[in-house]
Amino acid sequence: MLVKLTSVAHVGLSSVPVDVEVDVAAQGFPGFTIVGLAGKAVEEARERVKTAITNSGMEFPGKKITVNLAPADLPKDGGAYDLPIAVGILVASGQIRSSDAVTNAVFYGELGLSGDVRPTKGVLLVGLFAKKHRIKEIFVPRDCAPEAMVVDGITVYAVTNLRDLVAHVMGSTPLSRLKRKREAEGEGDLVEFDLSDVAGQEQAKRAMLIAAAGGHNLLMSGPPGAGKTMLARALPGILPPLIRTEALEVTRIYSVAGLLPSGTSLMHTRPFRSPHHGISAAGIIGGGSNPLPGEVSLAHLGVLFLDEMAEFPRSVLESLRQPMEDGVVSIVRVGAHVSYPASFTLLAAVNPCPCGYLGHPKRPCTCSEKQVRKYRSRLSGPILDRIDLHVLVPAVETEKLSAGPGEKASSKTVREAVIKARAVQEKRFAAEGLYTNSQMRNKHVKKYCELDSETHRLLKLAVETYDLSARGYFRLIKIARTIADLAGNSLVTSTHMAEALQYRSSM
Amino acid sequence: MANIAPPIPRLRDLTNTPKQLYYRGTWDNTLFVKCAAVVGSRRMTQYGRMVVEKLVPQLVEEGYTIVSGFMYGVDQAAHRECLAAGGRTIAVLGWGINWKGLDSADKKLMADIEKTGLVLSEWEEQKPLLWTFPQRNRIVAAVSHDVFVVEAAAKSGALITAAIATKLKRPVWAVPGPVTSKTSEGTNRLIANGFARMWLPKRDGVKKEGSTDNPIIKLLESESMNASEIARKLGEPIDKVGAQLSLLVLSGDIIEREGSFYVS
Repeated sequence: MLVKLTSVAHVGLSSVPVDVEVDVAAQGFPGFTIVGLAGKAVEEARERVKTAITNSGMEFPGKKITVNLAPADLPKDGGAYDLPIAVGILVASGQIRSSDAVTNAVFYGELGLSGDVRPTKGVLLVGLFAKKHRIKEIFVPRDCAPEAMVVDGITVYAVTNLRDLVAHVMGSTPLSRLKRKREAEGEGDLVEFDLSDVAGQEQAKRAMLIAAAGGHNLLMSGPPGAGKTMLARALPGILPPLIRTEALEVTRIYSVAGLLPSGTSLMHTRPFRSPHHGISAAGIIGGGSNPLPGEVSLAHLGVLFLDEMAEFPRSVLESLRQPMEDGVVSIVRVGAHVSYPASFTLLAAVNPCPCGYLGHPKRPCTCSEKQVRKYRSRLSGPILDRIDLHVLVPAVETEKLSAGPGEKASSKTVREAVIKARAVQEKRFAAEGLYTNSQMRNKHVKKYCELDSETHRLLKLAVETYDLSARGYFRLIKIARTIADLAGNSLVTSTHMAEALQYRSSM
Repeated sequence: MANIAPPIPRLRDLTNTPKQLYYRGTWDNTLFVKCAAVVGSRRMTQYGRMVVEKLVPQLVEEGYTIVSGFMYGVDQAAHRECLAAGGRTIAVLGWGINWKGLDSADKKLMADIEKTGLVLSEWEEQKPLLWTFPQRNRIVAAVSHDVFVVEAAAKSGALITAAIATKLKRPVWAVPGPVTSKTSEGTNRLIANGFARMWLPKRDGVKKEGSTDNPIIKLLESESMNASEIARKLGEPIDKVGAQLSLLVLSGDIIEREGSFYVS
């Protein structure tokens, strides 16, 4: 008898229906074949399914079994087809009678040998797929079910093991129907570090505020131990919370990558990714024959932190250019052409020189000027050009810290300022399809950043003194615009411009 | 392309006068009328840079030609500062005049020196080796009328120059540094042991002291600081302080280097 069930394959962030056709033949030698460009993990489903059925107290038919995964030319991998194959065999061998519950639903999940259903990546996408294709019911692993439950209009069955599923389909003990829960929207107050945890570094904190408010990329340079990493980790906490559509976007990426902690429904905190500098280009951009999202996509709508940026291979830094420009990364492989969103705030930290102590008030730098030049040249060029804000994070002399009152703004108050400034920008750019000052092109800068004559004079003087490039010129105006927005000023004044000059590139 | 230099009378003071000297640039005997050697550590600190910025323009103003060894650190800073102050400078190389191991930044500085000053070496093709630098130092000392040591650690090559200068009866000046700093150990010891006179900048303070109401400049007159420290000391918000610092730097009242500000 032939049975057809529906499952899902993921290509990037889009889902493709996969027909799982199971035939248990009346004649022929006993055997079990899976066809349809099945990867190694799918091939091995034979052993898992066979054992799981037996261990669930049912009979694995000693007949010729053929499973076809259609479309035939789409490569399929992973354990998610275990569940539809197992159910298909049970129906085709007559142990379960075929019903609408079986043919009009999506089955998705990996089986363990005991018949338990294991967590499987990509469940959120299954829910979204079901809604789009008007499929009412989906059967997914229990641990991942909360992911799918954020989608409304579908019924999610959380399956613990094969036996429960069979009991449900037979109608004896139905599984409980899970409906969408209204999750508390965008709280995301879980932050590792609060800004007030970092001693001193008022200027660096100010730069972080500007970066968060205007969506600017930020480069911090300073000796080891000055607090660069701690500051970096505090950045997600001052970014505005994710709104629901954003949270859904981020969760989709994490669901496909299989990085959602089990039991999570939506991610409410902005992602913070800090890859090690040993990372490959495929690791940062995304890769594999069925390409998985890389660090740039995992940092989508959050922060990509490159600690010791000068230690990253040049090829990796260069590969950041296109996603930084477009907010999307396209990965082309033999088997697939995939795009992942990758709109992130780049936060980079570097030492001022190889030994780290150049400009340190107490410790001598042991690098020669040549070494320093060589070190800095590794960073130079296109990637630095895309970083608006540069700030020095000097060594903190602890005895000097107690000297002044030193305001200690907490992340919460800083975040309120950020949210206010973002609202101003959103309003201003409503007609342009931009969100933040950092996204302004030159024509927008000319249109939205009016400068009075005094500010113009100051800017001209700065360009001559520091020998600024055209790009550097526009960068300064963009930062001054954000500073003005933070101050609630519609005009960019010379004070704002003067402060912006503090954050120009020194590399 | 290297020319052989005419004899320099002051080099005869040496017991081991170099057999010949090669030079690049335009030979001008007036260069040797009044020479000051400015030498020091390769590992120059922020403080050393500030000292060179004070010392060299003052010497240039007094009509000195600045002589140094073209090594990175204090030497090159002295050459650069001299050219920036409109002075003429002589670089005595610790390697052959035709040696091809220089990088582009070195080549550029050398070309700038040659325009008004000289590049000297007693070798044609010699590679830089451990023994070539002290050899070169005797020429630096002998050519100069005064020798200034800026930042030298306990075993710095600059101390060799100072020792030769003492032997040749050239006045040696050392710039004092913090007693806690390793790179000032050598210079401080020269002063302590009486081998060198202590150099202090001219007091142009009459003009500056009390002439400014700007609290930032007042603060920086005593000590160099970074922006966060200034904000903390003054109890002012960092955005306001940052804006003022930018304006002061642009107007030339203060200088910023690697994040720390000081009065020019």
